[in-house]
Amino acid sequence: MIELTSLRKEYGDLVAVDGVEFAAQAGEIFGLLGPNGAGKSTTIGCISGLLQPTAGRVRVLGHDIVADAVAAKQLLGIVPQELALYEDLSARENLAYWGGAYGLRGAELRGRVDTVLETIGLLDRAKEPVKKYSGGMKRRLNFGCGVIHEPKVLLLDEPTVGVDPQSRVRLLDLVRAQAESGTCVLYTTHYMEEAQDLCDRLAIMDNGKIIALGTLEELRGELDERDLLRLTGTFDAQRTRAALAGVDEAEVVHVDETSLMISMPDAWSKLPAVFGALAAADADVRATTMTQPSLETLFIKLTGRELRE
Amino acid sequence: MGFFLSTALKDVRRRLADPIALALWIGIPALIGGLMSLAMGGDGGTPKARVLLVDQDDTFLSGLLASGGGPLAEFIEVETVGLEEGRERIDDGDGTALLILPAGFVEAVLKEEPATLQLVVNPSQRILPSIVQQFLEALVDGTFYLQRLLGEQLRELAEGPLDGASFFGDAKLAELSMSINQRMKSLESTLFPPVIKLEEVLDDPPEEQESFNFALLMLPGIIFMSLLFVAQGVSEDVWQEKNMGTLRRMISTPQSVAAFLAGKVAAGSLIALAVSAMGIGVAMTMHEVPFVLIPVMLLWCTFFGAAAVIFFTLIQVLASNERGGNVLTMVVLFPLMMIGGCFFPFEAMPNWMASVGKWTPNGLAVLRLKDLLNGQFSAAALGSAVLGIGLPAALAFLLAVRRLRGSFVIA
Repeated sequence: MIELTSLRKEYGDLVAVDGVEFAAQAGEIFGLLGPNGAGKSTTIGCISGLLQPTAGRVRVLGHDIVADAVAAKQLLGIVPQELALYEDLSARENLAYWGGAYGLRGAELRGRVDTVLETIGLLDRAKEPVKKYSGGMKRRLNFGCGVIHEPKVLLLDEPTVGVDPQSRVRLLDLVRAQAESGTCVLYTTHYMEEAQDLCDRLAIMDNGKIIALGTLEELRGELDERDLLRLTGTFDAQRTRAALAGVDEAEVVHVDETSLMISMPDAWSKLPAVFGALAAADADVRATTMTQPSLETLFIKLTGRELRE
Repeated sequence: MGFFLSTALKDVRRRLADPIALALWIGIPALIGGLMSLAMGGDGGTPKARVLLVDQDDTFLSGLLASGGGPLAEFIEVETVGLEEGRERIDDGDGTALLILPAGFVEAVLKEEPATLQLVVNPSQRILPSIVQQFLEALVDGTFYLQRLLGEQLRELAEGPLDGASFFGDAKLAELSMSINQRMKSLESTLFPPVIKLEEVLDDPPEEQESFNFALLMLPGIIFMSLLFVAQGVSEDVWQEKNMGTLRRMISTPQSVAAFLAGKVAAGSLIALAVSAMGIGVAMTMHEVPFVLIPVMLLWCTFFGAAAVIFFTLIQVLASNERGGNVLTMVVLFPLMMIGGCFFPFEAMPNWMASVGKWTPNGLAVLRLKDLLNGQFSAAALGSAVLGIGLPAALAFLLAVRRLRGSFVIA
């Protein structure tokens, strides 16, 4: 349904997207996960036709986004990160305007506007100016404007940024409903929990490249069910590495003067051995956190950095 | 076409939701125009030139001059003063001009001897002194011809009875009257009606017509000042669309940026039409506006409004940020208004400034509207003005679309 082939986007010497490739199918929620600056929004920009790729192709149901832009864009729906709404207009007027932009007219447009207003729960306040809405209501309307024309592929660029928990749950339900109706959903986020809960498949991006791709189970498999131990304190990197080499299956992911990250299976039972080794290396441990396998631990394992850094 | 119209409608709705901005676009020019009219001595009615007359001749005929402005009494008010008072008052700016009729002036005129009138004008006023000067020149010309026609009779009247009596006898008065009557009769066939019929054919209508109503002089400029404010305000909307994210959303739809921008220009044009209609409505209360030309006036003003929206939008999208865009448009807006006949009518400007200002887009627009308000319609003049403004506007539109589609939206 949507296919990216060797997508590359350069800004002068900066390579924002470097050889990104993936395909997503109808009814699938495909997550694009990565820290800020990983290249997610640039990828979305290329898919939506906002940016011209330097190389590679984006095809929506076979229509190239550059060579056959009108046909490709007709099949796409966008829910941008910012609230792309006219605040002086009502929800109904906003939906009618964006529906018109996708060629809906007359009774068909009116019917779709009513349906979407009901879906996003704004039917009773449809005539009020958007500026009077709460943040959550605006988010829902922003979503509604992206699906007014029943797109085959829906792009959501971090749609839950700054949204309260209740509105987030409602928004994620709307996304799931779209996928259930057969829409291919491409969802970018840097919230790992959201990606884990929502997405059928995931691509993890960093520095413009996809560093991992698969279902949640496949990605967890890459971690070998290893836990992540985070320790803060005072460490001598060389002596710490040497000391931990003697602890069974311990892998030092990162160590510097004040922090240490260790990946290991069943970390809880091996804590005494870890502390013993660190004591032998004259490390002063002040705090310890253990994280069970997750997308976050996978990201740290792959990049040596926190996802939110 | 559908998206173009829905964009125009959407923008009009947004504008109507912000009536304060609309009021400011109209109110600021109206306020400036009103203040300018007051400062120039007009209260919206006809301003009068006050001539301070020093009558050193003190004759019957000079007294006639002192009694008023004759056929131009509507525009000229004459006040007889002493020489010292006259000089002091004109130095203080109290009066349009000081006219000194020297002793023996009327006698010298009647005897065809050299005579000098001294006129001191108030340099702080620009239009009214010109009116006085023109009136005086016309008076001198008239006196010359009167002297040619009835010089002999007038000299006799001026010299008085030869027998030293205070009054002419009945017989002498009858003789003089007969003589004047015969001279007029001899000229009757020439004067009433004139044997020479003057047919005025204007190849190129004059660029301007002097109007003595200052508020009416200001009005076309005020209309275009409003239209420039509207255009500048509407042009800022590209930054709002960018900041809101609606521009990016629009570009991801199958619609063209050209249709989107054209819709925005159309919305600006509709506001321009409403503003122009108000302005022309005001003109109709002040002046006999040719009814048949009103649609042409409205079209002309709306066309200018659309072109101005395009020019300012191009400036906005060329700027690197919103603040820069607004500063740049203001830097263009105010000099254009000042030199292009919006702040001051061309008639009140120094000649060099007026001749430059008449070639600015708004200067050109003001001149054509003045022509139309004065009932002069020249398809050639209007057509060339349409081309002069329309072609650069079309080019600016294409450049703005290119920029909107490109680096503006992602920068």
